[in-house]
Amino acid sequence: MNNKVSILISVFAPFLAAFVSYFAGKKHEKFRDIFVPAFTIFELGFIALTLNVALTDGENPVIANSLFVDVPFCMFGIRFRIDGFRFIYTELAVFMWAMCSLASKRYFLHHKNTNRYYFFWLVTLGATIGVFLSADLVTAFLFFEIMSFASYVFVAQEETKEALRAAETYLAIAVIGGLVALMGIFLIYSSLHMLDLNMIAWHADPVASLYSSIRIVTDGMRTKVYIGGALILVGFGAKAGVFPLHIWLPKAHPVAPAPASAVLSGMLTKAGVYGVIFVCCKIYAGLVPAGIVMMILAMITMVVGAVLALFSVDLKRTLACSSVSQIGFILTGISMVILTPKESLAMGGAFLHMVNHSLFKLVLFLCAGVVMQNLHKLNLNEIRGFGRKKPYLMVCFLMGAVGLGGIPGFSGYLSKTMIHEAIVEGVEHFGFLKAVEIIFLVSGGITVAYMTKLFVALFIEKNVSNEVYMRETDIDYITPAGRVAIGLPAVMILVFGILPHVFYDKLATAALPFFSRYVRELHHVHFFNLENLKGAGISLVVGAALYFGVVRTLLMKNENGVKVYVDRWPKKLDLEDAVYRPLLDLLSKVFGTIFMFLSDVLPRFVYNISNIFLSVLARVFGEGTDLITLALRKTLYKENPTEHRYIGTVETTKLGRAANAVERFLNRTVRKKHPKNVDHVVAYAEELELTRRKMHMLESSLSFGILMFCIGFCITMIYLLLR
Amino acid sequence: MDGNILILIAILLPIFLGAIFPALKFLKSDIAKNAYLACSVFASGVLAMIVSYACNGTTLMVFKLTESLPVFMRTDSISAVFATLVTVIWSLVLFYAFGYMKEEEETDRFFAFYLMVYGSLLGLCFSGNLVSMYLFYELMTLLSFPLVLHERTKEAVLAGLKYLFYSIGGAFVALFFFFVIYREGVSLDFVAGGSMAPFKGNTLMQVSTLLVLIGFGCKAGMFPLHAWLPTAHPVAPTPASAVLSGIITKAGVLAIFRIVFFVIGVDFIRGSWVHYTWLALTLFTVFMGSMLAYREPLLKKRLAYSSVSQVSYVLFGFATLSPVGILGGLLHVIFHSAIKNTLFLCAGAYIEKTGRKRVDELTGIGKTMPYTTWCFTIAGLALIGIPPLSGFVSKWYLCTGSLDSGTGFFSWLGPVILLLSALLTAGYLLPVTVKGFLPGKDFEPLPKNDVGPLMLVPMIVLASLTALLGIFSTPLCDCLIRILESLSI
Repeated sequence: MNNKVSILISVFAPFLAAFVSYFAGKKHEKFRDIFVPAFTIFELGFIALTLNVALTDGENPVIANSLFVDVPFCMFGIRFRIDGFRFIYTELAVFMWAMCSLASKRYFLHHKNTNRYYFFWLVTLGATIGVFLSADLVTAFLFFEIMSFASYVFVAQEETKEALRAAETYLAIAVIGGLVALMGIFLIYSSLHMLDLNMIAWHADPVASLYSSIRIVTDGMRTKVYIGGALILVGFGAKAGVFPLHIWLPKAHPVAPAPASAVLSGMLTKAGVYGVIFVCCKIYAGLVPAGIVMMILAMITMVVGAVLALFSVDLKRTLACSSVSQIGFILTGISMVILTPKESLAMGGAFLHMVNHSLFKLVLFLCAGVVMQNLHKLNLNEIRGFGRKKPYLMVCFLMGAVGLGGIPGFSGYLSKTMIHEAIVEGVEHFGFLKAVEIIFLVSGGITVAYMTKLFVALFIEKNVSNEVYMRETDIDYITPAGRVAIGLPAVMILVFGILPHVFYDKLATAALPFFSRYVRELHHVHFFNLENLKGAGISLVVGAALYFGVVRTLLMKNENGVKVYVDRWPKKLDLEDAVYRPLLDLLSKVFGTIFMFLSDVLPRFVYNISNIFLSVLARVFGEGTDLITLALRKTLYKENPTEHRYIGTVETTKLGRAANAVERFLNRTVRKKHPKNVDHVVAYAEELELTRRKMHMLESSLSFGILMFCIGFCITMIYLLLR
Repeated sequence: MDGNILILIAILLPIFLGAIFPALKFLKSDIAKNAYLACSVFASGVLAMIVSYACNGTTLMVFKLTESLPVFMRTDSISAVFATLVTVIWSLVLFYAFGYMKEEEETDRFFAFYLMVYGSLLGLCFSGNLVSMYLFYELMTLLSFPLVLHERTKEAVLAGLKYLFYSIGGAFVALFFFFVIYREGVSLDFVAGGSMAPFKGNTLMQVSTLLVLIGFGCKAGMFPLHAWLPTAHPVAPTPASAVLSGIITKAGVLAIFRIVFFVIGVDFIRGSWVHYTWLALTLFTVFMGSMLAYREPLLKKRLAYSSVSQVSYVLFGFATLSPVGILGGLLHVIFHSAIKNTLFLCAGAYIEKTGRKRVDELTGIGKTMPYTTWCFTIAGLALIGIPPLSGFVSKWYLCTGSLDSGTGFFSWLGPVILLLSALLTAGYLLPVTVKGFLPGKDFEPLPKNDVGPLMLVPMIVLASLTALLGIFSTPLCDCLIRILESLSI
């Protein structure tokens, strides 16, 4: 079969299968439950058989293995390319989906909306394959967005309050990340006018572009590309869980169904890392300041995730925080690639740690799923002892735990050792890497501590609760398909770990061209020499010290004679609730108020003011003459107010004088203490005047007339009667 | 009157058919009335398409207001694009209106004006100079006014008056420009590349240029004359608010397009303070509209604010004055029409079936009305600009066009604001979908009760248009690029 056709089939078949499973599942649930795992296994085989050309030709992987497909679709078309890295990661993705699908049937036994879940499950698979196979920025972005939105549904699957809130956070981070990345793509496209990942890498590379005859890249353009790269880094880094955008991981994973958490943590974060690798290794390669910034972010992510995991008392939350931390380990490797772009160790280490982490989280989350489907609880105190007398589960979980802890003999040790080696070798160029090495080893120690905490809680400690005790001997706790799903990756961890040079060397070598154009050969590492074992030893010692010194003392307390795990992490120290949500609320309030003022209050105000102003103006002109008259009457033609004096008649004057004399007499005699001084002449004159006026008013009033008329009428009547 | 008389017939036919509709007493049953209306729109649409495509490039001198003010019609590629858009949306929304208006009173009046507005819009599309454009612009305002106050509640009448006040005020502000350039001796005809190009600008001309952009920007909902949109759209019956938001706002866009690229000319604006003020106004409107939509609880009002923001995307594309940006703007004219009509029709369907107008009341609506909510979701994702849906394509051209436009500070501020607005768009549209489909564990949804086919089919057609136009955008882009090249932009 033509390779191009098989690429297209491998990307688009899951989308088709999603619709098949949805419409078939409406009627025939049994068919769907078989169809989904069967399809994923078919997809796994199909890709392995048709596209393995990406691995076989080792001579010149970049050119020989690059299959390029161009489909006319949405503006620029969709372009896919396959090489070693892309092939391995696609296969791994489908493998994870297949294993989780196997375990899903039992997990969703009594769940609602399973049909919806499977639909988006397969859509996400298709989108994830699309991201890993994408050859240009727009294709990557297209599938990345589909992946974000489709996976949103399975974070919210349970529709509990916490699930919906976590899903909201997840969606917000996904949308913000997507848009920031899009801005980066705009910048890169507008400066280079190209979208192909390899071409961009070629032009962004200061050395390579000197020989480029296609296009001259100026410093200004390169600055734009660097800024664009940083923005893409933010977008993809958000999905990968890089600090400070890691907040969705610890929230989304515990509430999602276990198979979904496994792919969220194992695969979707890696789709983010895919973008990070593109930017760091293809655009920033050799750019020391970028390397230092990335290294700082990597350190913070690594430590924050590990510490959060150590404090957590929820099985899935611990695993989610651990994912953040492990992404930090991968980023450390990637940062080393930026700092020392010609060294193969960091690339191999970063890549293998990605693979490892996918496998570990597959095993661990599926084990958590087994716990969840039996007990419907995740709190360590409630589930402790569940794994007793279940050797199969215990062995599988142990594989994941020791792998994650980096114990020699298991695959995690290999990748950590490679990154460690790369750091140690880098110390001679960059002194600060000495500190990085210490943080790296300590974080490894914290990893050991929290995995021990989980293992001891699940498999060693006894539970007082009857329910868990009863289930101790429950053989039916897992289906055969579930056993396969957990067992297969667990075996892989062991086999890969024991035989490093058989598998991992080849995988890493095949993936190298994706990281760098210059490096073809993987630096040979003696994994089991004393120097390298020492690193793992330090981590183990730190881990043991932390477990006994912190976990068993500070993080546990006695309650009724039983030691229980307590969550000592302060609730207020939550980046999302303490900073992001209040900040967004505040911004929206401030801008909302300003804009509401501008678009509602201000026009009304302007309208009213201008209305008043204009009407006043109009009145001024319209009734101007009246106003002038009024003004003149008030000013120039103002009547002179004269002081009114009441004069009175001769009688009142005489009477007044008499009254004055009486008063004087009284003042002297009776009212000696309280004399009265009223001029009775004036008072009587005033009284007379008022009486006159009243009489005048009375006389001129209608009622007076009527009264007079009545009186006259009465007199006339009386006269007539008497006559 | 000389030239292609078909142009005038195409404009007058829907106006005539609409005007006589209430008088046709023999149309008793709803079916007869609907058949008459469907036939009318179909006949007018076919004629409009014939005029746009078969008679492209023909002209018609209708009459002269005065010797120097001719009413002159012409068909060109731009008018063809807009006429096609108007026709497609108008016929789809008509069918929706058949279903929606069943419950309403005085539907005869509504449909009569609905047809007449269509005629006036065709007139606007086929205008060949500023005079006829102004004529049909005012005609459109007056004819669409009864659509806004159809309900005749106090609120509706006040909103209608606000609409009228803003539209006429905006048109008068724009009229100032006509006087100024007429005094300067600029021809009022539309000339590709700008009839004002040979004239040297002075401050008065620059001020009047800004005024004309603000004045016609009123219909397009550009700050500072945007406030009529959120008042008028929610009170109008849903089919009316859909076309108001999707098409009538585009009439303002068309007017600005004609003014900028056929009268003023790109070179007159480029680099002047008018250019930067215009850019700033459009970007401010983009952000403001989205922010206000984000904070608005009423769904239809939220969509109206969203239109304020989205139509300014288009204007921003024009304001970059770069070919790619203008292409993005024209694409967004088409995409936003389809998207916003879908969204309004869905909002109307919710009101029709459940009577719920607020976003927070729509929890669990996806279980009750799954098809409607899927249409809403697709259109919503397209508006946010999620690839491969249509909004992504226009946003791509708008942003890359802006980055290449050489407008300094604004060239990168534009994409930033556009993406911020896209984020807010996600914030105000996704909750409907999310709460609709994922109402929570213990939510008891109402029984499934979706709208009938008469309303559903137009929504599905429009929603699939929003998706398909994005996925297969190449032919449309090529066509628009050819048009822009022919205009030498």
